[in-house]
Parts: sequence; structure tokens; C-alpha cells
Amino acid sequence: MAQADSPFQPRPVPGQPSVSKLVLLGSGSVGKSSLALRYVKHDFKSVVPTVGCAFFTKVVDLGASSLKLEIWDTAGQEKYHSVCHLYFRGANAALLVYDITQKDSFHKAQQWLAELEKEHPVGEVVVMLVGNKTDLGEQREVTLQEGKEFAESKNLLFMETSAKLNDQVSEVFSTVAQELLRREKVRKSHTPGNEAVDLNEGPARQARCCAH
Amino acid sequence: MATALGGGLGGWGSAHIQDGAPRSWERVTGGGEAAWAGPQITGSWGRLAGHRRPRRPTNQAFPGARAMAADNSKQFWKRSAKLPGSIQPVYGAQHPPLDPRLTKNFIKERSKVNTVPLKSKKASSFHEFARNTSDAWDIGDDEEEDFSSPSFQTLNSKVALATAAQVLENHSKLRVKPERSQSTTSDVPANYKVIKSSSDAQLSRNSSDTCLRNPLHKQQSLPLRPIIPLVARISDQNASGAPPMTVREKTRLEKFRQLLSSHNTDLDELRKCSWPGVPREVRPVTWRLLSGYLPANTERRTLTLQRKREEYFGFIEQYYDSRNEEHHQDTYRQIHIDIPRTNPLIPLFQQPLVQEIFERILFIWAIRHPASGYVQGINDLVTPFFVVFLSEYVEEDVENFDVTTLSQDMLRSIEADSFWCMSKLLDGIQDNYTFAQPGIQKKVKALEELVSRIDEQVHNHFRRYEVEYLQFAFRWMNNLLMRELPLRCTIRLWDTYQSEPEGFSHFHLYVCAAFLIKWRKEILDEEDFQGLLMLLQNLPTIHWGNEEIGLLLAEAYRLKYMFADAPNHYRR
Repeated sequence: MAQADSPFQPRPVPGQPSVSKLVLLGSGSVGKSSLALRYVKHDFKSVVPTVGCAFFTKVVDLGASSLKLEIWDTAGQEKYHSVCHLYFRGANAALLVYDITQKDSFHKAQQWLAELEKEHPVGEVVVMLVGNKTDLGEQREVTLQEGKEFAESKNLLFMETSAKLNDQVSEVFSTVAQELLRREKVRKSHTPGNEAVDLNEGPARQARCCAH
Repeated sequence: MATALGGGLGGWGSAHIQDGAPRSWERVTGGGEAAWAGPQITGSWGRLAGHRRPRRPTNQAFPGARAMAADNSKQFWKRSAKLPGSIQPVYGAQHPPLDPRLTKNFIKERSKVNTVPLKSKKASSFHEFARNTSDAWDIGDDEEEDFSSPSFQTLNSKVALATAAQVLENHSKLRVKPERSQSTTSDVPANYKVIKSSSDAQLSRNSSDTCLRNPLHKQQSLPLRPIIPLVARISDQNASGAPPMTVREKTRLEKFRQLLSSHNTDLDELRKCSWPGVPREVRPVTWRLLSGYLPANTERRTLTLQRKREEYFGFIEQYYDSRNEEHHQDTYRQIHIDIPRTNPLIPLFQQPLVQEIFERILFIWAIRHPASGYVQGINDLVTPFFVVFLSEYVEEDVENFDVTTLSQDMLRSIEADSFWCMSKLLDGIQDNYTFAQPGIQKKVKALEELVSRIDEQVHNHFRRYEVEYLQFAFRWMNNLLMRELPLRCTIRLWDTYQSEPEGFSHFHLYVCAAFLIKWRKEILDEEDFQGLLMLLQNLPTIHWGNEEIGLLLAEAYRLKYMFADAPNHYRR
């Protein structure tokens, strides 16, 4: 998206939480939309396959501070990858979702990571690997250990969830939000002005209206 | 934006429907807003004439698409059925292979369309078109002249503008009456009587402009509609709670029956009659004819159907086992995980038998079209055909129908017919689904271009808040608005798409533009990116029925008329 390339550095509106852009990536039917729906709407139901992308927003309350997440839920089918790149841009965080009962979706998550890293230098984006559908434990094809090891090897955050049972879902988002805030603090204290991880670089659109 | 947040997952999720409902209801009942077409049009004309600003570069995220769109923009506006994805197959790619009688019909049909504007210089465009299409009984048998004239799209745009504006003005005038009457009385039942009698009175007055009024008389009861169940009855497109069948509807049905049973169905006439909507009773056979699947000659129909159905099940026999082979595995797996998620809220589609039918249709289509293969969204496109062909055997509500009560033969017919008609549709829009989906990118750019010309305010509003058209309109193109409208509306929309030359590939763009502008007030009320996106992906159409689709189509027709053949009109 345009703002990622923009030299203009928007500042958050005073009193409003800063805005971060989070993308949900992963192959089809692993539960990306269900995670978003569970987190944003506290709901779980049959969802239709996402076409292109769907957009949500939610303020994450982290006690002392809060953060507004713009959540971009993408379509899982590979045919849509050409469109998905549009949603990568300017992302501050990504959830790489796989289905623990589908080994293949775990491999696809690894491919998604490679795609993401093409667009963003390693470390610029907060990435969490998410193994969903723990409610289907008896059909598990990807062990907890496998997930963990891969995440560690790539320096990713990692969690297993069940959108259906509402297990660990809000933890996923709040952990990512905490990490975003932590990195922002580090960035501020170390190299002010450095664009490495700039939360405000994201789509803080309210602040940009004046540009027009 | 709690209300619009809704399901948000791109479909007709229940939460989404529920949340959207109150807004939609207010909109329908709210006095001034309901007549959106009228005042708004004048507004947009004002804007059109007024401001011309240099175009700004847009969509930086898609430099390639932009360049492509720039290259194609001229061709696009001069579209002449040459573009990849244009829908010639409606006429051209017949099944069975080219029948001389059909070809003759096709030529005749083309020439007849052309005669329409020539017959009357004064009343052309939509006015004339509507007269010819909706008042079927008015059409005499004196239409045999053969003209090789230019298409009616090339008519003087002033005439088009004037008549279109007149049509829309009439629309809004007619709508004002009942709304006013409602505001003066709180007694709904009594009011209902008033409305009903007024529309009856209108019906009995057979004046020359019935064609304009008749499609609208139902709208007058619009503010009084009962609330439709959340999962609206898909089989019942008459969402207005109007009386079962009016005199006019009976006459229309009679006209259809006559056309369909004549030795050689006049396809031109059938298109004209179908444009304003096909009666439910004759929709299955009409759709088969309009899609080019069924021959116009009644004698050949049974044989053709038999042959095509056998051909389809031949494919199944030959190819369906290959679904688990390595090279087709990915295709099948994707279809297999998408089918249970297609129309998840409608019980009909949760039946294993129905899901198996969908899987077979999609798999066979995908492997026969390797350039695109299966793309999410195509699964939705089977649904209207399936429902319409199923409705042939179902008296009651289709959405809860248990298909195991049907015979094997019936199910096979429904399946094969759905396959062939869907194939016909997709033939015309295949570039929507080939690599990188060029058809969609092109159409989204075209939509942006069109909106920038017809409603600069909305266009600038999007730019101001950095809303990209692709972010919401991708789905509009990919799923032909099916995710934005209740199924009954999609079915009604497709009556027209199949009657309109290049309906799915070209006319759809104008419908999208009309659809977007329909929400201009709501759009302009949103003052941040998030609010706009939430609105645009959850537009409250759950209460929509034939009336709204009729207005939408009239507006789309006007836009097409104004812009399709006028690449430089109102260029900014």
C-alpha cells in the first residue's frame, strides 16, 4: 500500500492508540477467517472462503497502553497470491496460520514466510506462526515440537490455537501487539528516526488527512 | 462501526446479516433516501459537467495494472466484443455445435435489436427498450424488417441522457407517493390497503407509459414490506410481500409460455422479455435458452438435452477418478474444502448429495479449463444455476428441500444443466480466473475510471482516505456481486445478464458502478479508512428484492448507454 513507500511519517492522533497493520496468511481452510472472527466478534461459525481479502479492526488493550490493529484477512488459495502482495505492503505484523491436522498447510506456511521475506527484510515485521485447530488433536499431523522448532529456527513467535474452542486466540493477538509495542520502545530508545520498525509508519490514516 | 463489523468474512454470514438489517431497514423506509436514483442523478450530472480536474496517478500498489489499464482504456470504452472475456458465446458457442436455424435466429435477433432505435427517433434508449421488453403484449408481429444498422449503443447520447433522466425521474416521482402516505398515518394495515388499491388502480389504467410504471408499482408498497427472515427465502424472489400474482404478471407469464412453446423460440424476443426479469415458473427453460445451451427449435430440445447430459456424464466417467491422481490432487483438494463452505447457512447446500454434485461440476470444469483451473469464487457461480434448475421440481421452498426425494434422473439433469450453463457463463469471463486474474484487474481499473467520471465526490473521498478500489471491488468482480447480494437478487440479476449482450463480462461493470453510487451517502458519511472498508464489505442489502435490482439495472443501463461507446465523455 502506498503509505509504506511514503516518506511522510504520520504521527498518531493524540489520545488515540497507534495503528498497526496485521496480515493473516496461510493456505485455504486453515482457519484464518475464523481466528479473526473469533478475536474481533467473539464468534465461531461456518465461514465462506475469503475472496481477495477481508478487513477488520480492533483495539488491543494492554493495560497501560493500547494498540489498534488493522487486520487483513487474506484468501488462502494460491491463485490469489498476485493480489495478496497488495496486502503485504506496509504490514507491521503477520500471522502465518496452518492447520495442525494438515501437514501440507504447515509446509505452505513456510512458503508464505519466504514470500513475506521477499517483501520485507527479516526482522522488520513481527511474525507469529500459529498452529490452529487444536480441538482436532486426534487428527494431528504436525506436532507441537515441529511447530516450535521451525518457529525458533526462523526467530518467529509461536502458538497453537483453537478458534472453535476459543483457546489461545486473544493471546495470539495480544502477544503480537505486545511485541509490536516492545519493538517500538526499543527502536525509540536506540535509534530514534531509524525506520527499522516504525509503528507509526503503518496505516495511521487519520493523521494523514491533512495531506490532502 | 460495530454494526457494519458484522460477519465481515466476505459472505452472507448470519451475524453480518443481523447487524446490517436495521440500517438497511431504515434506509428502505426513510423517506428521501429511498428514491436514491432520482435526485442523485441530477447531482452527478452537475458534477460531471462542472469539475474537470487533471487525473492523479492512482493505485501505486499496482503499477503494472495501472499501465495495463492505461493501455487498454481506449479499447475498453470502445469495447466491441473483441476483448478477451467478452461474452460472444451467448450467441456463438452453441451447444449443440452451430445450428443454421439458430444462426439465422441470431442474425435476426441482432437486426431486431438494431431496429429498436430506428423505429422511433423520439423515444429511444431505456424508455423505448423498457417498452419493448416489459410490455410484452404490446409488441406486434411487425418486426421482420432487416436492418444492418449500427448498434443502438451508438445513439445520440443527448437523447439517451434525456430519456434516461426521464425514466429515473418517473421512478422517483412514483416512489414519493406511498412514502408520503406512510408518514401521514401510523396505521400500517389501513395504509397497506391504500397502497394496494392505488397500485391496482394503476394497473387498470392502461396508459401508454405502463412500461415505466408497472415495474415500479410494487415499490410503492416498499415501506410496508414485512421483515424478511434473516436467511431470506431464496426461492422467493418476491421479497416485497406483494400479492401472489398480478394481472400484469399473469400476462407476462402467458407471453413467456407462448414464446417458449412456439416451434422456433424467438430468442431476440425472449431476451427482450427477460431483461426486466423472468417469471419463476419459466425461468429454468428460459435460462437454458438464453445461455445458448438449449436450441431455439422445440423439436430438437429433448434430443439436445439428452445428448449434452450424456456427454457430461461421459466426462465424469472418464475423468472424475483422476481427482486423486497427483496432477489433479491440488485442484480437487481445494474444491473439496470449499464446497462445504459454499452457502454455509442454507441447509440445501449442506446435504452430501448436493455437495457431491458441486464437486463433480467444479472438478470437471477445472480440468477442462487448465488455463484458469479452479479459482475460489467459481464455486459460488454454480449456485444460481443449481437452484433454478432444482426449482423445476420443487413446489415449496428450495432452501430446505431434501434432494434425496428426487429421482436419479432428475438429479442428473439438474447437475448436467448446471454444468453446461455455468460453462457458458465462464466462457465469457475466463480472463477473470487466469493467472494474475487480468480480467478482474482490468475491470476494477475500469470501475475506478468510470466512478471518477460519474461521481467525482465519491472518487475523491476514496482517494482522501486511501481506499483502493481493488480492496472492495475485487470481490465484486470475482464473484459477480454474489457475496454482496442475497441469492434471490443474484438470480434476478442474472435474468438480465443473460438477456444483455456481454452481460457478465461487460454490463456487470456498469452494475457495479451503479451499485457503488447507490451507497454514496453512506460512503460520504464515513470519515476514515476503517469505516469505509467496513461499510464497503458489508453493504446492507439483506432486504433487497426485485425492486432494488430493477432500479439498479435501470441505472446501470443508463451508465452503459452514456459511457460504453463514449470513451471521452466527461473525461477528467
